[in-house]
Amino acid sequence: MSLSRVGVYVCHCGTNIAANVDVARLAEFARSLPGAVLARDYPYMCSDRGQALIREDVSEQALDRVVVAACSPRMHEPTFRDAVRQAGLNPYMVEMANIREQCAWVHDDRARATEKATRLVASAVARAVLLEPLEERQVDVEPGVVVIGGGIAGLAATLTVAEAGYSAYLVERSGSLGGRVRELDRTYPTLDKVQVVLRELVSRVAAHPNVTILLRSSVTSVDGCVGDFTVEVKTRGANLGEGVDASRDSQTLVVGSVIVATGFDPFDPRRKPELGYGQYPSVITTLELEQRLAAGDLGDNGAAPRRVAFLQCVGSRDVQVGNPYCSRVCCMVVAKQARQLRGLMPDAEITVYYSDVRTFGKGAEEFYDETRAQGVLYRRASVSEIVRSQNRVRLVGEDTLLSRAIGVEVDLVVLATGMEAGADSASLSAMLRLQRSPDGFFLEAHPKLRPVDTATAGVYLAGCCQGPKGIADTIAHAKAAASSALIPLLRGSVQADAATAIVNPALCANCGLCVEECPYGAPALDPFRGVATVNALLCQGCGACAVVCPAKAISLQHATACQVLAQVDALMA
Amino acid sequence: MRAVIPVSNGDTLGAVRDFLRALITEEVVDAVLVPMETTDGAVAPALVADPELLEAANPLAPVLGLNAAPVVGHVSLRTPRARIGVVLRSCEMRALVELVKLRQADLADLVTIGVDCLGTYDVPVYNALRDSKGGGALDSDALLASAETGDLAPQEGYAFRDGCQMCEKPHAEGTDITLELFGADLRVGIPVSLPDDVAVRLGLVAAALDSGEEHGRRVKVVERLVRARTQVRDARFAEILARLADRRLGRIFASCVRCHNCMTVCPICCCRTCLFRTPTFEHEPMQYVSWAERKGACRLPADTLLFHLTRLNHMALSCVGCGVCTSSCPVQLPVGSVFRAIGHRLQGTFDYVPGRDTEEPLPMVTFRENEWSEIGEE
Repeated sequence: MSLSRVGVYVCHCGTNIAANVDVARLAEFARSLPGAVLARDYPYMCSDRGQALIREDVSEQALDRVVVAACSPRMHEPTFRDAVRQAGLNPYMVEMANIREQCAWVHDDRARATEKATRLVASAVARAVLLEPLEERQVDVEPGVVVIGGGIAGLAATLTVAEAGYSAYLVERSGSLGGRVRELDRTYPTLDKVQVVLRELVSRVAAHPNVTILLRSSVTSVDGCVGDFTVEVKTRGANLGEGVDASRDSQTLVVGSVIVATGFDPFDPRRKPELGYGQYPSVITTLELEQRLAAGDLGDNGAAPRRVAFLQCVGSRDVQVGNPYCSRVCCMVVAKQARQLRGLMPDAEITVYYSDVRTFGKGAEEFYDETRAQGVLYRRASVSEIVRSQNRVRLVGEDTLLSRAIGVEVDLVVLATGMEAGADSASLSAMLRLQRSPDGFFLEAHPKLRPVDTATAGVYLAGCCQGPKGIADTIAHAKAAASSALIPLLRGSVQADAATAIVNPALCANCGLCVEECPYGAPALDPFRGVATVNALLCQGCGACAVVCPAKAISLQHATACQVLAQVDALMA
Repeated sequence: MRAVIPVSNGDTLGAVRDFLRALITEEVVDAVLVPMETTDGAVAPALVADPELLEAANPLAPVLGLNAAPVVGHVSLRTPRARIGVVLRSCEMRALVELVKLRQADLADLVTIGVDCLGTYDVPVYNALRDSKGGGALDSDALLASAETGDLAPQEGYAFRDGCQMCEKPHAEGTDITLELFGADLRVGIPVSLPDDVAVRLGLVAAALDSGEEHGRRVKVVERLVRARTQVRDARFAEILARLADRRLGRIFASCVRCHNCMTVCPICCCRTCLFRTPTFEHEPMQYVSWAERKGACRLPADTLLFHLTRLNHMALSCVGCGVCTSSCPVQLPVGSVFRAIGHRLQGTFDYVPGRDTEEPLPMVTFRENEWSEIGEE
């Protein structure tokens, strides 16, 4: 039936796989599969020695296809593609059977897990014999980066790109740089003045010859792909001065990478009306207290509050408002603000009402301990309501350690409001083809291995648009995003994945369903030939077009109908 | 504008022919696509450029062999093209709207002419009926007379097409020119709604004051007809869904001969080459054996159910219920009823009405972030 020579390699992954799957039996089974000429099991296929094993077999046994039964292809497919490439085989002649994440890790019955692994390997071999060599294309990279958002993340990313010697275009919606950080007084846990830090960063960015700052500007469209993005930026005319022609309102930037640093929106506590925010002037948010602290004026006309309550987790860890996640910064913000208040009002009674305290990070737990040592009270409680009580407000709730009702009159309540995805996330995600996680923030390509990458090659995430972060984490994230964004620029050319969709013009009825369906804008209808065509550089190989095409005139290379059907047949056999 | 096409000597068909002829002679269109009678009385659509030949046009003949929407695509899809008047029954117009969304037709240079549908026979039935009357074209005066009350009935001893019996949208809608047969005394005149400029060219004037009343009569007749047909339709749906629940799709299609007629005649099925006519499903001999071994037996030709499921998957949302699939099934499977029953539920899920509006996007390619969340793992 088939003249292919497939080598099958079963990885033990130490004991990750071997503990739950009989790897020796699996290799023996693999030898019996049609097309397989050899099968081996080895402790770590991804190790140098494991890869060498594959390379040697490819040359000595004249293998033309390789199946690696190991971890997820997202983990090591590139590794094994490189290995066979070095051995002179086309890198697309590798197929992986995921017997770790999808088998050994999720089953505990060794016999049945082994049985499942045999199906997965049979399926992979059935597909492998149908694999076809594909040619990757090299694309030149435009030496510049657009950074969307001029907050602390955007600034840090811009500076990193500029310092590396590349053009950075910083697009900021408002009239000034700094974003949310402009509203902050001091950092935690070091109590530095935020504005001093910010000013230094802004001036370094503004003074850098590689940086172009576009204020009052929004990105209106992003086309193209990694290495060659065309970014349309619209600038609101206000500041352009007289005699400026309207065409200057919008400009086109051509860059190799895009960094999204669009930040967050603070939770609006009016969505929890029981807390009385907006109703009682003595109920404020941590952001408002931050501004009062910066101004050195606590409000209340000099009559400093004698009793202050901080409420943790307002709009965070709250399924009722749709935010089940932790906003990560509020615990330390409260510890810091409570400490600052302690210094300003040594006699005041300051209590933090919390459900859990999460002071992770360098120096953070120590800071929290010191805050308590300075006499700030922490009370585990659930506050259900804030009501007026003459000139003060009354906190009503439950002390969840003592299981006792709380009714406390206070002069000032500070709500530790959390972070939410920006209101414009939906439109940005459509424009930039970014996925969002259930919390509404942009989704990174992998939570651990690719924390700043996105599903769209060449688009990177920096800062709180990906999820809540403090200043230090934001800057680390932004510099990581900038470093990743620089990779294609530094290489000068990118390899376009060859596993893209192609059109069989003889079958195409030009119905345009693929054009509508593609989230990346890769297919287009050719008006002269009356068929669809696919821009291979835009195609991300998701296969949505191939699914929707009724005639299967579009097929996804490396996942053709024949390959997938063979795979399914082998699974079901 | 609403006007009345005058009918003399009770010759309704003659008046329709004159009207179509005038569309060409007054240069509203270059040609007309319309059902034509052959000399021995068969009826098929033709593109007519010579107005004299419209003497054989018969858009009122109660027969439907194929849905003309796809051939409208043939004359409208690419440029250069002519201005063409296309005479369509309501199911054909709805199919055309779906084809426009699938870029298989273009309305830009078309003048769509809708005719209220009084019901149609399958081709063999129509021929038998003609033979019983001594051959030649069928005299449809009785049927035309029933338009006034909407009590449409086939000739005694014969039945309308299965699709027509359950058609709840027999009235012409959404066309540029509409011949409004329902509720009218067609021996006297044919109410027509048409663009003002076309009326001027044809020398038609706005109908007298009683046209409002006449229009009201059409609305009432249509309402009554739709109610009655909807009842039939729902009974048919209930019957087919019960069969589906009881005997499942596989058994309903068990005697399918894989002739692909349903696919060939389906106006929505617009692939150039169906996947099921490519080598995709030509398996290795051992593949069939392994299926037979696994299941004990394997029906041949294989993939018959997959063929119907695939068509359901591609068509059901756009199925306009013309029923030509049932009409052309040589083994008389209820293809159309299955498609309509399943399609109706699916269309309801997406609040989608096929054939309603070319601007209404196809649900298949409409992305909603939260859609069918009840399906799958959640």
